[in-house]
Amino acid sequence: MGGVMSYFRGLFGSREMRILILGLDGAGKTTLLYRLQVGEVVTTIPTIGFNVEQVTYKNLKFQVWDLGGQTSIRPYWRCYYSNTDAIIYVVDSADRDRMGISKQELVSMLEEEELKSAILVVLANKQDIEGAMSVTEVHQALGLEALKNRTFQIFKASAIQGEGLDEAMEWLSNSLQAKK
Amino acid sequence: MYTLFSGLYKSLTEKEEFFVLILGLDNAGKTTFLEAAKAKFGEKRTKSLIPLTRKYDGKNSDKAPLVNTSKITTTVGLNIGRIDTHGIRLNFWDLGGQEELQALWDKYYAECHAVIFTVDSHDRERVSESKAAFDAMISNSNITGVPLLVLANKQDLPESMGVREVKPIFQDNDEKIGNRECMVLPTSGLTGDGVVEGIEWLIQCIQRNVVNRPTGNQDND
Repeated sequence: MGGVMSYFRGLFGSREMRILILGLDGAGKTTLLYRLQVGEVVTTIPTIGFNVEQVTYKNLKFQVWDLGGQTSIRPYWRCYYSNTDAIIYVVDSADRDRMGISKQELVSMLEEEELKSAILVVLANKQDIEGAMSVTEVHQALGLEALKNRTFQIFKASAIQGEGLDEAMEWLSNSLQAKK
Repeated sequence: MYTLFSGLYKSLTEKEEFFVLILGLDNAGKTTFLEAAKAKFGEKRTKSLIPLTRKYDGKNSDKAPLVNTSKITTTVGLNIGRIDTHGIRLNFWDLGGQEELQALWDKYYAECHAVIFTVDSHDRERVSESKAAFDAMISNSNITGVPLLVLANKQDLPESMGVREVKPIFQDNDEKIGNRECMVLPTSGLTGDGVVEGIEWLIQCIQRNVVNRPTGNQDND
């Protein structure tokens, strides 16, 4: 029954794309989510569990899930992987010490069968902070050159200042539509 | 018995896979070329959702790119494209071309079966920069002998350098190019001119070169 419903929904309007926002704790995932949804910076506290919001970008509807990023709750990310169209992986570009951990989490996430066809956007966040890593540095630190069968793109961004988010969403919606 | 049939079935249905690297300076037209190639070889064209607002010249109207080419942004990362044709599968790796990203190109050399190097024929000021990147690329021992297609791209723009101007620049050092097959082709990713010729030529070269560079999917057998 659900299949029939979703078939008819597909006829009358495009399906809501499902996007996961992942990344280490303190990377700025929740700030990003609400920046996308309401266009403002909200005061956030560390997310335990998840936030989910519907984001509309240029007539496209996205269901965006922001999952908590602390070490103890990262194993639960996998519960949300099915039917994911895209992943926004948020990295704190100013946090050089934890790049290695961020890489490990990214690599193990991308090994999951359920995320095989998901498009990846890496957001090199917190570019407003002095001494933040450049896109190339983030690219190398995350070992992205090992990704050879997935479309991905890195954007530098500052969720606080709202920079880089438009470009990322623009690219994401384009790529998602081309993929369908 | 089962293995016999499943092996037979597999060999009949499985396509040989090859990897093609698309390189060139930023804004040379790599991603647009990839989109044009995908459109020409009919990858899921009918399912395109994006209305094509670009004016397209009449003869190619049914082969318009999947994505609106005006929306293509600077690539910092990787675009993947797949084309199934002539009984083989071509996988394209379209990389970012900005100077700082050129350091990442060599990570892909060992596994590719062909290289497409895109030159912006309209940007005379950056030709020497493009040539420098080209020289660095062909000097790498990991891609010695790999077929090389140089695109004199953006031929749709007026006053762009013709293939006669581009060709001598990029084919001047024979000893580095060595015995690899190398062709300079005038193209336009936007109008799609030359895209089919380029890909067809590459396929022939890749198949001739298969002894030196076997297919990517041998380890799966």
